[in-house]
Amino acid sequence: MIEEPYRWLEAIANRREYVRDQLKGGSPVFAASLPDGILLLGVGGGQSKVFELFDRHALAGLGHPADLEKIRQAAIDSAHLEAFTRAPEDVSLRRLVGFGLSPQLKLNFEQIFSAPYLIELLLAELGTAPGNDLLLRLHFDGIFQFQSGGIMVAASQPEPEAAARTWLTQGLAGKEKRSDAAEWMLQTWWLLSEKKSFSEAVPPETERRAGWRSAIEGKMIEIGWLDRGGQRTARFETLTAAQLGL
Amino acid sequence: MNDPVPVAGDFLSLLASRHISAMHFEPNAGAPVQTQATTVFALQFADGILMAGDRRATAGNVIVTDQIDKVIELDATSLLAIAGVPAMAFEMARVLQTSFEYYRRSQLQMLSLPAKVRALARLLRENLPMTMQGIGVVMPLFAGVDHGVSPAKPEIFFYDPLGAQFRAVGFCASGSGSTTIRSILSYQDRFGKPRPSEMSLREAVQFALRLLMVAAEFDSATGGVNPSAQSFATLKVLESTGVRTIGADQQAEFVGQ
Repeated sequence: MIEEPYRWLEAIANRREYVRDQLKGGSPVFAASLPDGILLLGVGGGQSKVFELFDRHALAGLGHPADLEKIRQAAIDSAHLEAFTRAPEDVSLRRLVGFGLSPQLKLNFEQIFSAPYLIELLLAELGTAPGNDLLLRLHFDGIFQFQSGGIMVAASQPEPEAAARTWLTQGLAGKEKRSDAAEWMLQTWWLLSEKKSFSEAVPPETERRAGWRSAIEGKMIEIGWLDRGGQRTARFETLTAAQLGL
Repeated sequence: MNDPVPVAGDFLSLLASRHISAMHFEPNAGAPVQTQATTVFALQFADGILMAGDRRATAGNVIVTDQIDKVIELDATSLLAIAGVPAMAFEMARVLQTSFEYYRRSQLQMLSLPAKVRALARLLRENLPMTMQGIGVVMPLFAGVDHGVSPAKPEIFFYDPLGAQFRAVGFCASGSGSTTIRSILSYQDRFGKPRPSEMSLREAVQFALRLLMVAAEFDSATGGVNPSAQSFATLKVLESTGVRTIGADQQAEFVGQ
């Protein structure tokens, strides 16, 4: 295979197809930068989806729980080593992902005789102002995209993910409350889960509201909040749907 | 040679696996003897634990600063009051802060109170060579919330320089000014009306500030509290729900300034 490069390319393409296929049933996760902090949300069916990484950093993801756990642990190790050997202020998402997680994921993905990571991730870094917030989308093959503030979605398939992100961004325009953000995220989650179209006739709001409420039965809404105004160094807290009036 | 595999959730073993030393001080026979200086104490009052410290740091007979914070929040439910050589004490606090948060984030649960108490004892034992030389003695106080009982309850612990840990009943004190105030605390605990455990927050803060004033009267290495000059102490309260700081403004209000 090594002597025949086209076979390696084919193997990589097969691998990409295999990962996407395995991730098909994954429940999407969301992040939104708001004036008071960053909200992360996921709906889990028995596995955790939203995690604290460091003082101002959090992660949300979908995929195989064991793979999610490996990446989460690697990120926590790196962040705490960085904070201890330098300072907590030196822990940054750009370095954490650019020099740590992304190369690790790419290397793993291209080693075709090892099992690939079955994950799609969102990472968030709280800034001093919404414009300084950093949201990051990290894919199973190590490719990543940064964004200052705004909205980000991680879903199992690229096209619905992009459509959902556009729709959610439009829906949350001008909305600053985290309860509004959570409500819209849950509606988007329902539309994605039900494979509804975001470009044609989107179901009316009453249907969307009733839809996610009925679909989450037996599942758990996980909400993480990075609090910009927090007094403690660790800004992450978990919220319940009831706390947001949902 | 293979690197050691870190124990899950143990930050010190993660450091060891990367060949990073948490606390590494080489004993040196030529090092000068350092004067220890401080008054820190903790007492149980009606709402929880009040931990207090003066703000002076000294080197020999020189006052280095009167702006140091000797009561440190390690995590949401733990406090450390440091007495002894600041270089070692602050490094211990940093190791513990990182270790506790690392465990909580990686293991998705808080470290238990006994494990936190032992973590500090372990650092004190590792500091033994410096302690034996007399140049790195640290005698801290620790307060944490015991979630193993219902309802959760804040507890105070003190240590000897070799790392032995003791649970304090009611109160404890450390540092060069502690001998003065220990007698007062004991008297108040036995005969006082109210006893420290019956005090409201206002009464406990007033009592703590007066204790530091008395300690400063007899120990030049303890920085005083002077409300008229807006010079106050570091005061933190640990309740079963967490930590809060009693800042200078609130201290001034409580002493009527």
